[in-house]
Amino acid sequence: MTTLLPPRPPAAPDNPAKGRPVRAGRARLNRPGLAWTLPATIFFLLFAVVPLIAVVVLSFMTWTGLGDPKFVGLENWQTLAGDSVMLKSLWLSVLFIVLGVATQTPVSILLGVWASGPQRNRAVLSAIFFLPLLLSSAAISVLWRALLDPNFGVPAQLKWLFGDGNLFGHQSTAIGVIIFVGMWQFTPFHTLIYQGAAKSVPPVLYQAAEIDGAGRARQFFSITLPQLRNSIITSVILMVVGGLTTFETVLILTNGGPGTDTTITAFYMYEEAFRRYNFGMGSAIALVLVIVATAISLIMVKASGYDKMRSTMEGL
Amino acid sequence: MRTRPNYIAGAAVTVWLLIVALPLYVMVAASVQSRTEFSANGPLSVPTSLTFENFLLVFDSGFGKYFLNTFLVTAGVVGIVLLVVPPLSYAIVRSQSRGTTLIFRFFLLGLAIPVQAVIVPMFYLINSVGLYDTLLGIILPTAAFALPICTLILSGTMRDITPELYEAMSVDGASTARTFLRLVLPLSKGGLSTIAVFAALQGWNGFLLPLILTQSESTKVITLGLFNFQTQYGINVPGILAAVMLSMVPVLLVYLFARRALVQGLMGVGGK
Amino acid sequence: MNKPSPRTPVLAAASMLAIGLTLAGCGGGDSAASDRPENELHVLVYGDASNDVETAMVEKFNETSDVKVVLDTIPGAEYQQKLQTVMSTDAAPDIFFNWGGGSISDFVDADLLMPLDDFIEEDPQLKDAFLPSVFDVATVDGTPYGVPMRGTQPVMLFHNKEVLAEAGIDEAPATWDELLEDVDKLKAAGKTPIALGGGDEWPTQMWFSYVYDRVAGPELFQSAIDGETDVWESDESKESLGMLRELVDAGAFGTNFQSVKFTDGGSPALLAGGQAGFELMGSWEYSTIQDTNPDFVANSLGWSAFPAIEGGKGDAANLVGNTNNYYSVLKDTKYPDAARDFLKLMYSDEFVQEQMSIGNLPTTTSTEQFLDQAADPDYARFQFGLVQDAPNFQLSWDQAYPPAATPTIHSAVADFFAGSIDEDGFIAAMQSLKK
Repeated sequence: MTTLLPPRPPAAPDNPAKGRPVRAGRARLNRPGLAWTLPATIFFLLFAVVPLIAVVVLSFMTWTGLGDPKFVGLENWQTLAGDSVMLKSLWLSVLFIVLGVATQTPVSILLGVWASGPQRNRAVLSAIFFLPLLLSSAAISVLWRALLDPNFGVPAQLKWLFGDGNLFGHQSTAIGVIIFVGMWQFTPFHTLIYQGAAKSVPPVLYQAAEIDGAGRARQFFSITLPQLRNSIITSVILMVVGGLTTFETVLILTNGGPGTDTTITAFYMYEEAFRRYNFGMGSAIALVLVIVATAISLIMVKASGYDKMRSTMEGL
Repeated sequence: MRTRPNYIAGAAVTVWLLIVALPLYVMVAASVQSRTEFSANGPLSVPTSLTFENFLLVFDSGFGKYFLNTFLVTAGVVGIVLLVVPPLSYAIVRSQSRGTTLIFRFFLLGLAIPVQAVIVPMFYLINSVGLYDTLLGIILPTAAFALPICTLILSGTMRDITPELYEAMSVDGASTARTFLRLVLPLSKGGLSTIAVFAALQGWNGFLLPLILTQSESTKVITLGLFNFQTQYGINVPGILAAVMLSMVPVLLVYLFARRALVQGLMGVGGK
Repeated sequence: MNKPSPRTPVLAAASMLAIGLTLAGCGGGDSAASDRPENELHVLVYGDASNDVETAMVEKFNETSDVKVVLDTIPGAEYQQKLQTVMSTDAAPDIFFNWGGGSISDFVDADLLMPLDDFIEEDPQLKDAFLPSVFDVATVDGTPYGVPMRGTQPVMLFHNKEVLAEAGIDEAPATWDELLEDVDKLKAAGKTPIALGGGDEWPTQMWFSYVYDRVAGPELFQSAIDGETDVWESDESKESLGMLRELVDAGAFGTNFQSVKFTDGGSPALLAGGQAGFELMGSWEYSTIQDTNPDFVANSLGWSAFPAIEGGKGDAANLVGNTNNYYSVLKDTKYPDAARDFLKLMYSDEFVQEQMSIGNLPTTTSTEQFLDQAADPDYARFQFGLVQDAPNFQLSWDQAYPPAATPTIHSAVADFFAGSIDEDGFIAAMQSLKK
């Protein structure tokens, strides 16, 4: 995903990773051996790959955190298959992703395209828009939970807007709050992606369109949007992965409630493992999460032809 | 050049400005008001007097310690990343062995593992090596999960070093290590600062790993402190907002003094 | 880029590592507190307003003891979840706060707790100084595992005297019908009749525990927890649910109770701030409000027993709540002697008096003689009377079941109040619980 990085100095046209020196005979080049990779590789194996394998193993075991894990075969998976909360959580995860993409994408495209333009107040406003990125997810959730307290926050002052302020008491408003807070938090980030991409649209395209008499809307839809295609794909993939792994926002804002109405899969995993001490089931849910995330990414990558683009990027 | 103002974009920008700026304004305004003044005047009012009692409350409830812990975690994560990623990226860019290609592939696959997915065994692992409820227990996995992105970013930077420069080093008879220290590192400063900021953000903003892997007051980091502060003082809105604001200050400083590195580091966060 | 396919060696190496680590992990799971500094005894308690007194007590203990007690707190909302996670780690406490009953049964099964028989043999006061009915709640299969600490915490109906007066209510309701009338009067006066921290879910559960107890008697819940889940389908169960439904539908809790929490101070602030008339809460309501609003406690806080329900099987004197809090000791503690000495403080006159000064009510045999020295003697005497006279003291549902059942119970009560599940949904959820 190197594509996300803001433009750096242009890459050398000849690819040094592949390009064997033509004049190899003249000076023997010292090349780093495999040993250089070992510290990072071993470290990553230990703390990321080993746990990933362990999660597979644990999903076939039962363990309460007390005593030793025991093998139970497929029991966790069978339970999970018939678990209505699990199904609901998957459905909610998908809903969160769809709503997240649907709200963040248009706003960040608009803002990104605007921010790439020549307006005079652009720098100041962009700096303000950037501010939510300086806060952690936990801080943002705590901020909004405090602001939205029905009796002691903003809703108590603006009753005409919020009514009784029972935002966390209905599924629809609870989801709405989470989606809104996600939008508040992540739109600046996606705006940056679109801003970079919109800047690199060749001005000559707009000039040509102007000569053809195309209006602004037409220019936006027939030039800007198509030129942003790759950025849109990148940004949406990031939203999907981010949406699937949303955790502290749900924990702090709604705690999965009311009832289980905002219990998305990542939160359900936490609840099953660290509130019911059902670490085997928790692992099985975690695996479902990995499988779903990978499947969605793969489908999107295939469907969009993004893989071709990416493999060329990898060769950079 | 287009001169006609774009009304749609202008309206969208204004609305968004309100959405972003109002809560931030409430945060700043509330944090310098007393609780009574805040609830009497409402969140959108202009503070008429300044008080620092909220910040005192925040520090009284242990935030000084949390800041220190978070700083240590951040430094540890950055340290590990800066120690292991440059040699790896160097090997990926310059080595021609099949092994390194494989390892690069392996790290690319690692991009797909979310930390949520492995939190249960991580708890087991950290616990069985005796690191539960220690800062090191947070640092190690946080750093590990920062590796794939950092490797990708730094390899990208290192690829921009032209072969001619390597050849020149070889002609001078420089060893691999010398080439790495004298040529590769100095020319990768941009990438190094990006991965440092990325790693720092991972350490600074981490929530799930500290939530699961620590427990006591002496190992608490800011994000968890905020979470606990909220469950204890939830309706003390000025107090909470003061805490949130304080948690932002260090990152704000980075933003003011190293904007470019921060933006690039953030873009890396998104890559996760 | 070429696709180098063989990833197998890497995976194989990783699996080897994984297996090695898993084996190593299995061997090393039982070393409580091995990495701690010497001479530290860690005491883990529920973080709330009682901590000040506990800190003071620990400081006093440390003045004379070579082994220093370190008080660790976990804020209330997270306490239970962390406890089991912590228990099997090196950070496990030596002594920990619990609710007896189901809250320790899993630990006993996992052989983590120290039977206190030896302590009691050395110092019989560790048992004899406490009311037997209270002491027994932390006894599992005849073996004592906990010493009562803090105090008994019956759930009572608290009220704001001024708000009630404003709405034309002379005294706290004695019966369910009076409660319903009061709800109407308070609504007419523009108040939220009853403050409820529905966001926390366990305050909602208190209403279920009491109504079930009054309608069906304590036997229904006892049968359920013994495994006879049919009782949830009984007529009494359905009648209880019907009454709860009626109360919610009457607007007794206002409309936004699900967004309000007790743990962040929200619902008590509604009561103390005059926005609500009643709140059903454990006796800790007193110390919680005392912390933020002592004037209100002194002038306007009132309390009463949960109203009687006409025609119900349960005795109107029955109580629901946390019978008591307990300290249990981990088997692996390095300093059993210091642990024992620390536990002895729990029945000391000084401890009893200090607890009473913040509104807690210890259940020692000496409590009665100190009632007049309590922060609020009336409150202390009222509470003590309730506990003494109660034919049955039902432990909170979520504490009576092992902790793994808690999310299910909490969701069920919250969903039922929200109206997102009906009678049948609630019954099905409760029947899904295993003992």
